[in-house]
Amino acid sequence: MSEPGLGPTAREITQARLATLGMLVAGIAHELNTPLGALNSNHHVIERALLKLGEILEDEVVTPDELDEVRRVVRATESVLRTNGIAVERMVSLVRNLRNFGRPTTSEPRPVDLHEGIEGTLALLGHELREIEVVRDFGDLPLVVCHPNRINQVFMNLVHNAAQAMRDGGVLTIRTRAEGDRVRVRIADTGRGIPPDVIEEIFEPGFTTKGERIGMGLGLTITLQIVHQHGGDISVDSEPGRGTTFDVYFPLRQPTGPARKEASE
Amino acid sequence: MDEIKPDGGTVMVVDDEDMVVDAIQGFLELETDHLVLPFTSARDALAHLEKEPVHAIVADFMMPDLDGVQFLTRARGMRPEATRILLTGYADKENAILAINEAGLYQYLEKPWNNDALALAIRNGVERSLLFRALTERMAELEAANDELAGLRQRWIQAFL
Repeated sequence: MSEPGLGPTAREITQARLATLGMLVAGIAHELNTPLGALNSNHHVIERALLKLGEILEDEVVTPDELDEVRRVVRATESVLRTNGIAVERMVSLVRNLRNFGRPTTSEPRPVDLHEGIEGTLALLGHELREIEVVRDFGDLPLVVCHPNRINQVFMNLVHNAAQAMRDGGVLTIRTRAEGDRVRVRIADTGRGIPPDVIEEIFEPGFTTKGERIGMGLGLTITLQIVHQHGGDISVDSEPGRGTTFDVYFPLRQPTGPARKEASE
Repeated sequence: MDEIKPDGGTVMVVDDEDMVVDAIQGFLELETDHLVLPFTSARDALAHLEKEPVHAIVADFMMPDLDGVQFLTRARGMRPEATRILLTGYADKENAILAINEAGLYQYLEKPWNNDALALAIRNGVERSLLFRALTERMAELEAANDELAGLRQRWIQAFL
């Protein structure tokens, strides 16, 4: 934040953060819906299956016809339980992927595995990426000292923008590399690209291609701000019709002194 | 031909998520007499419809190869008598509702779905399909009778000319 009046205001930062939070909540709800729907239905089926078996056993006589029915019910229950196992596993891995998202910002920066945050972001934005091929080109990264939830906001904004640029499908490539005293995370899409005459403006507050959703026009402004606060930088390269590539750099050694205070807190 | 009852008939279930298809199939097989045809690809389901009719189709909205509305719209073109039911996640509800007319939807259900509501929708859907078929048959019979009458009339006229 350089001169007053040029950077985003505290209110704008809060709005942008709420927009990210909205995306987060929508992502969680959407990702939980499928396994939850299966578990809910299967719970009902198992309940009824047991009731049926109980009725058959009630008179303590099992006729051959009833025996067939018992076998059918047991088979159905087994298959439903298998599905439950898969559904529970899916929910457990989603929550595991999100461990870092919920941490409060006020915590001290700590060593973080950036891949974990990237995976969490991809899991949450899964519904936006359904028609997009995601390529993970992950290198060996050392832990990076940062505020994980702020960094996840960066990934979330960049991946969300990439998905928006590829509504008709495409390839999202996430490439991570350690390069000397810094780490580079490249988020590249094959979407519609950014025209050269506006590429200088994309980090300005209010720049948007997405209509007037509150806070959305600040996505890249806030993204850049967060990266700067971590002593890093972003570069962008784009060709209309071919796609956009963002390179995010994080230093492996944090700037000396306490982490800079954020405007909205 | 055996008479099909509304709690029987053939029901196609299409969702790209295995666990949803399995759950619905497990439920229907245990609780109803519908014959369930499970599909995890909309394209495979269309290929099946090309060969054979079904009484009701339950399809998910958000699928990668073809969305539920596109799929059901095509299914309608191929098998207008098959009743179409859409399952929607919460995020795609608005789009789904906008498209109801396009696919001639009979009903849409939200995920997570309620099994009793689903069973009722399918049962009514199969019944609707059976009525639709009976009506189509009667119409064909009427048309045939009409043609026959027209033929007779033509012969009468010719006889007098």
